[in-house]
Amino acid sequence: METATLDGKAIALGDAYKHAAKILSGAAFPLVAGLGADVAGARAAILLAERLKGAFDHLASRETLADIDVKRSFGMFTTTANEARLRGDCVVLIGPGLTRAWPGMLERLALAEPPRRGAQAQQPRKVIWVGPEGEEANAVPGAKVIPASVQELSGVLAAWRARFGGRPVALGAEKVALIDDLVERLRNARFGVFVWSASTLDPLAIEMMQGLVIELNATTRFTGVHIGGRSGASGVTQAAGWMTGFPPRTGFGRGYPEHDPWRFEATRLVDSGEADAALWISAFDDEKPAWSRADIPLITLAPAHTSPSRGLFIKVGQPGVTHDAVLMSQETGGMTLRKASAPTDAPSVAQAIGAIMAEVSEGAWR
Amino acid sequence: MALTVLRGGHIVDPATGQDAIGDVWFEDGRIVERPEGRSADHEIDVSGHIVMAGAIDIHSHIAGGNVNTARLLLPELHRAIRARLADTPLSTAKWSSYETGRLYAQMGFTTVVEPAMAPHHALQTHLEFNDVPIIDKGALTVLGNDDFLLGMLRDGETDGAINDYVAQTVENTRSLGLKCINPGGVEAFKENMRAFGLDDVVPFYGLTSRQIFQALQKSTQAVGIAHPLHLHMNNLGLAGNIDTALATIDAAQGLPLHLAHVQFYAYGKEGKNGFSSAGALFAEKINANKNVSVDVGQVMFSDTVTISSDVLKQFNSLPGAIPKKGAIFDGDANGGGIVPYAYKISNYYNAIQWAAGLELFLLIDNPEQVFFTTDHPNGGPFTTYPELFALLMSADLRAQHLARLPADVLEHTTLPSISREYTLYEIAQMSRSGAAKLFGFVDRGRLSPGAVADIAVYKPGRDVAGMFRRAALVFKDGALIVRDGQVSHYTRGKTLHIRPRYDQRITNRLDSYYDDLYGLPRSIFDVPDAALPHKDAFAEVPCRI
Repeated sequence: METATLDGKAIALGDAYKHAAKILSGAAFPLVAGLGADVAGARAAILLAERLKGAFDHLASRETLADIDVKRSFGMFTTTANEARLRGDCVVLIGPGLTRAWPGMLERLALAEPPRRGAQAQQPRKVIWVGPEGEEANAVPGAKVIPASVQELSGVLAAWRARFGGRPVALGAEKVALIDDLVERLRNARFGVFVWSASTLDPLAIEMMQGLVIELNATTRFTGVHIGGRSGASGVTQAAGWMTGFPPRTGFGRGYPEHDPWRFEATRLVDSGEADAALWISAFDDEKPAWSRADIPLITLAPAHTSPSRGLFIKVGQPGVTHDAVLMSQETGGMTLRKASAPTDAPSVAQAIGAIMAEVSEGAWR
Repeated sequence: MALTVLRGGHIVDPATGQDAIGDVWFEDGRIVERPEGRSADHEIDVSGHIVMAGAIDIHSHIAGGNVNTARLLLPELHRAIRARLADTPLSTAKWSSYETGRLYAQMGFTTVVEPAMAPHHALQTHLEFNDVPIIDKGALTVLGNDDFLLGMLRDGETDGAINDYVAQTVENTRSLGLKCINPGGVEAFKENMRAFGLDDVVPFYGLTSRQIFQALQKSTQAVGIAHPLHLHMNNLGLAGNIDTALATIDAAQGLPLHLAHVQFYAYGKEGKNGFSSAGALFAEKINANKNVSVDVGQVMFSDTVTISSDVLKQFNSLPGAIPKKGAIFDGDANGGGIVPYAYKISNYYNAIQWAAGLELFLLIDNPEQVFFTTDHPNGGPFTTYPELFALLMSADLRAQHLARLPADVLEHTTLPSISREYTLYEIAQMSRSGAAKLFGFVDRGRLSPGAVADIAVYKPGRDVAGMFRRAALVFKDGALIVRDGQVSHYTRGKTLHIRPRYDQRITNRLDSYYDDLYGLPRSIFDVPDAALPHKDAFAEVPCRI
């Protein structure tokens, strides 16, 4: 496996960096996309996009922006996994695939153990899971499982909120009684926690849940733990936030950042032809771009085992595997340094972009 | 670096008592004596200009997870409008870490302290610092709602053990000292208490706020942290909370204590709105207690956002949010609450707040006991400092503002009767010499030989605010980085921190604690050098002992 290829044929790494710089600086509106990287990689990528007056997007932006849209249009209550673990006496898991989105969830939230703080300490933890998939239904002993499809989740949350507020719902008496019983459990929680992933909830469902949180907090304490998107989405979003003020889907065409979730969506930019060159970064798992056009110049930074037949490819290492990497940690809700588990000398995303940046004219701030 | 002389400026340097025309020499990033037998490589004529040390902001929320949440919460508050100049990436990206460095530098500020770093989120604060160009940064570590400390106090552990924990936490999070935010009150909020005063008891710990902050105050002294405990008191923003403030000063037992953003505690209950300025009473108390220093947290009329680790207070503020949204984060200890707000000159309460802050500035006698913050961005953005300095320096300007306030405000503040005008020397005491003393900085905030060559040169004129907003020249570590109020390029400032000593056995004990409670290695919260993009990010400041 070559470290750099052009249309499938090996080229020297130094030439690859020069060629990448030529493609990107020659473009009218280059795109930095994928952005599956650690914080250092995101930082380098955003500085490159800024330097080139291009745009940047992350491959899991749909999920990230679902949460951010609720935050910035409505507001949000959150806590750390550790506080949920120590205090959560009523933990409501919402939707399928939470253990896929966060493989360590059951262990980290210690759902099978009692909470350790407050009057609820050592009392059994109530766990409710709405719409788990497959084995998830049996994952937490004693959990109350409420079957629901992904499509039904919004309706379930809406019905809970309506009944919490004492409003009627168009459901049979038996169902209403079940909902009322559940709502009573929420009301009686001392420190309740919703756990969700935006991969299965749309912004309106998240807002419904957060609206219920606000109403619950009128008399008790209730909050939420959200599960971040794949490929380093949360860390990339934080870096984008302090560097530009905005999350991904931000462009620099005017020489300053503008954030627009529609205008700077990567797939649309490529398929519409607005972007005329793309740097695709997917250092965690080699995910491929979702766009359909194959006729714009493409540079790929990935840990691929097979090089793509089209475009320029530069092999990079995997964050936290082949090199030390700062990542947002789902278990703490904060940034942490992950030491390399299998170090190699493959360049990190930050190093590869640093080498490309060095070929772009203006003196770089790195 | 070349030998440079700034020739013929009006030097205002309270640390050395200078307030006269003179020259300032520097070389290799430090101020030097005029060298015998050598001539300057660069001679810059600054006649007709004011020359001061670079300013130090002692309390400004510029970095960390809560600040970043505020950025993401309020895209409408910071739309960029102007393309950046060459060699300054992201410098016009509003509210970015880069713009923060540029704007501070342009005002002649060269050191800024972020006052609220959560121990479990220290790495993000340091990563953000890394992307604040030019200026030097430092942080205060937040303790006082953390289970480990509260548990130690409840169990009656020795002062020695508490001191070790404090010192280990400050060293490990790489900060300049300690802050305590609504001690015990944030923990109490998790237990569903909605108000928390100085003598309320934290459930399950049996401790009062008073006991918690007194313990941290003592510990801060014992481990040799130069900066006194930096306290965010209980009952922030509530009518009648002057009682809390006065009682807190009494509780300080004569030991050093810094009270943060005191304007937010200078409220009586007079008048038909039950809300009045108690600024005069508060100032009198501060004048009588030399162990206490304060920063004001001045309200400046503007659209802004409140960012605080006082989660209880921020939760209670949500219904008054403008626009109506907010983020409430129940963190491992303190967490944070982000609530947008708009201070309006036509609003009775906001006008009282504005007046109370100015009363504190003008009625506290010693300019090295009171600092000029707006608690950025809580009372207003740091970019309003120039307007604030102008207000302090001109009774006429204050009178113009007073005329625009709701009429009944004037009955509940002493501000109209105050004629004091700050001199440039007093401004420099507050923003340079006093600020340096407050943190134990011996080589900044002054222009004496050996000091860091952080120098601000201002062109005086009728527009006092304009003079402070656009420094004529700013040198950082001897390098010219601002000319005519414009940053020409970036340099990389340092992150200042202290390393108090402690018994290493506390580290083993903490390892077991994290393992038992969280099932996580304590090191997951560390700030290792390898996590930061640059090896030379830090500079150590000596401890007091």
